[in-house]
Amino acid sequence: MLDQIKQEIDRLKSRGATYADARWYPAEDSEQLVMVNGNLKANESSNQSGIGIRVLYKGAWGFSAASDVNNLPAIFDSAFDNAKIAAERVTFPVRLAEKEALQATFTSPSKEDPTKVPLSEKVAFLSDMDHKLDQPGVIQRYGILNFDKKKTIFVDSEGSQIEKNITEVFAFLQVSALDKAGVMQSRTFRLNRTGLTRGWESIDPVFFTQQCERIVSELNQLLVAGDCPKEIGSVILKPGQMYLQTHETIGHALELDRILGYELAFAGGSFVTLDDFGKLRYGSEKLTVRADATVPNSPGSFGFDDDGIPAQNNLLIDKGILVGAINGRQMVEEANAKARRPIFQGSSGANRATAFYRVPIERMTNIDIDAGHDGTLDDIVRNTENGIVLDGDRSWSIGSNREQFHFGTEMGWLVKDGKITDVVKNSTYQGDTLKFWNSLTAVGDESTWEVVYVSNCGKGQPNQVMQLGHGIPVCRFDNVRIGE
Amino acid sequence: MNDKILNTLKELRAYALQRKAEVSISIHAEDSHLMRFANSAISLNTNEMLIRLEITAFEGRRRAGYEMITDLEDMAKLKQGVDHAVEMAHLAQPLTYEPSIPVYTTDFLDESGYDAALANLANAERLDFFNQVSKGLETNELKLSGIISNGTNTLAMINTRSEHWQYFLFTDCQVTSVLAHSTLKWEVSAEQSAQKKSELKPSAMHDRLEKLVDLYQKGKPEQLPLGNYDIVFGSAAIGAWLEYIVYIGLDGGEMKRGNTFLLEKDLGQKKFSSRFTLLDNPTRLETFPFRRDFTGIERKLFPIVENGVFKSFVWGQDDADEFAANPTGHTVMHLSLEVKTGQKPVNSLDELLAMPRDKDILYIPYIHYIGLVNPTEGILTGSSRFGALLLKKDGTVAIPYNVRVTESLLTLFGEGIEWLSSVSEPYNVSRSYGARNPTSIIVPRFMRVNNLEISHSNSSY
Repeated sequence: MLDQIKQEIDRLKSRGATYADARWYPAEDSEQLVMVNGNLKANESSNQSGIGIRVLYKGAWGFSAASDVNNLPAIFDSAFDNAKIAAERVTFPVRLAEKEALQATFTSPSKEDPTKVPLSEKVAFLSDMDHKLDQPGVIQRYGILNFDKKKTIFVDSEGSQIEKNITEVFAFLQVSALDKAGVMQSRTFRLNRTGLTRGWESIDPVFFTQQCERIVSELNQLLVAGDCPKEIGSVILKPGQMYLQTHETIGHALELDRILGYELAFAGGSFVTLDDFGKLRYGSEKLTVRADATVPNSPGSFGFDDDGIPAQNNLLIDKGILVGAINGRQMVEEANAKARRPIFQGSSGANRATAFYRVPIERMTNIDIDAGHDGTLDDIVRNTENGIVLDGDRSWSIGSNREQFHFGTEMGWLVKDGKITDVVKNSTYQGDTLKFWNSLTAVGDESTWEVVYVSNCGKGQPNQVMQLGHGIPVCRFDNVRIGE
Repeated sequence: MNDKILNTLKELRAYALQRKAEVSISIHAEDSHLMRFANSAISLNTNEMLIRLEITAFEGRRRAGYEMITDLEDMAKLKQGVDHAVEMAHLAQPLTYEPSIPVYTTDFLDESGYDAALANLANAERLDFFNQVSKGLETNELKLSGIISNGTNTLAMINTRSEHWQYFLFTDCQVTSVLAHSTLKWEVSAEQSAQKKSELKPSAMHDRLEKLVDLYQKGKPEQLPLGNYDIVFGSAAIGAWLEYIVYIGLDGGEMKRGNTFLLEKDLGQKKFSSRFTLLDNPTRLETFPFRRDFTGIERKLFPIVENGVFKSFVWGQDDADEFAANPTGHTVMHLSLEVKTGQKPVNSLDELLAMPRDKDILYIPYIHYIGLVNPTEGILTGSSRFGALLLKKDGTVAIPYNVRVTESLLTLFGEGIEWLSSVSEPYNVSRSYGARNPTSIIVPRFMRVNNLEISHSNSSY
């Protein structure tokens, strides 16, 4: 098969293609188990295989994919034909940043293959957790396990051949109940990084049992809590909400394809312009952000992107100043040319596709915020006069240029004169992106820093869901509109 | 009809029967084409031919599903898929209820939603469509974006309870065109949904874009003060709000789990405006309907809200099994929602602009990124986008920076509805995550709702 793929790439080159690559998925196995109130509502697995072909012809992309690979030349021809018609409407011919041709492999860190664990053991685990969640006050219990194991082979016309073997584990527990006003309240636990590997060993029953006890206890606190007040105050975001704030108002805003207008028809644009790099004060001096695909054990660490670029750790925001973007080979060339200055020194390796049948686009890797020097969560609370600690994403809505946002969270703890006073429910906050990040007044130390996984980041047309991570500390922002 | 698909189903059914297994099997074949535009160029031109084989195995109260994205040539591999599903079901934990296995009493073939001309739309035709849409409108500053996505879906299913099968074949097309100002950052858009090629009207999209561009170039942008406004929503915005009514309002299983703002006690009660009637109407081909659900129930016109009175939840088979309810023919990939039109003869942007007004009215054609603030109270939030206008009392038009609306669906479709247009159109709400699942909602072209709160107002784009 590999030889045939290489022959087809050569054939398209001889027909005039300036570049071609293939992503062959010999096998991707996924499994999802969903238990709702003790019922195994979903007991599903899947296997997919196929190939996606990307061709560059006269500065335009064509792409074709199929699950039936018995007629490989037809798939390559289809991609080439798509590129030829696209070449009839080109305004900025696609150029790809230089790269080194690599022969390489990447295997994500995993000790115990989750797809090899007997189904009965996985179901028994979920059932055990369900029993632990079945406590007074709880009316809905959800337990979800997702596993994915894929082998992909990337070959391009520049001589690269990269094999990736990636295993992912995602887990989710949630308890819910109606409060006295008839409003559903929930507390959720998502498995984040607990160690340096992410196989079945991530599913530690002792740790999960502790999380069951915590979310049941917090749900019961919510059920008797008052509503979040409407006020202007400080918000202290724990990692369970801080990750989403970072994701939506830094991560997406700094995708270079968005900045260059490639997502305007659907996902939206960005308030950031090419002129802003090196100048824009995105946040306070306490804010340093990086796109770090080298973080050990995260879905945002994948060895090589789908342009064949090795994983990197790049600064995006340095002490509050915007310095970098999430990008791939095509966009850095276009951005540098349009800015008439070399903003980017080559691809940062963030071009990824969710499946063989989707085309690679700029996706977040691990968009991380450096830990700060403002102590622990307790220290930050102690130094806060009037505010609220928030955790657990509940709703999110962002302006089309990522310029403003509205978030709702599961849990809030009011802070008065340096002390946590009451738990509150139905907590929300909103703001303007730049104003908000410039109001960052405290960044927690290493003890508050966690890697939070994201399993459902959506973008692109055709739509793609991507997995990634955020390494983030507890942060405090002042003068925020709360409770509306 | 694709004999290969049907014969594969029959052979796998025979294999399952031979090994005394209870299974239902479906094949979903999609042929998708998407041409995407950005910065006035074709930024991506793609096609995907994917075949999904889905097997659900049953063993009493035990159930398991196995999906393969594959080809149909390797029958041994497909049979292994059946084996795998059966084995998973055997190892599963029993449900607390007995899951139903459908019994099809007749073969059912529905190709009424198929249009060969749309299925065979050529690359050159897709490009020509967009060239017509944007003719004369692009400049050095005004850049074209958008998509034209068309596809053919084949969905066929069979199970071990009977030899009969169901087979659906339909075509769809979704078009979005956007003109965006590269430095000022405003955007205007036009959209279309089509089930057949003859429904594609590039001139209509062109005219809308031309009108909005003219208004945006002449109008002065302004930040709206926070407060309450009378808002006219366009079809895209109405469709976007309505999608959430399904998720957090109408689903019987979710109601039983406490996740909806409509409750059992609300049945027969007036919960919305008398002007609001919502049905599931599988007779409308524009909604890419399923005329039988996947359990074999014939799908008919199904009232959900009538003149503001909540008439019924929708029940899929599995939730009906779990909660001992009667399934309502809604075990399908998507509903065929239709909002009945009103009396207002305001059915075009020109007619909206010409409408006499005694106060400022905000026109929001599109809602971006809706968030579920509080599902059990039906509270959503989202921002305006793509061509909002402030129609001033003095007859002039201003350009508002984007604003945020945070309201309950009970309010958005409540007593504040002043009027609905007398003409409706399908608004395409399709997403292409996972399997192709074209979905349109038929909505009036405009809906005016009075006294809605703007909770955030941008100071720029």
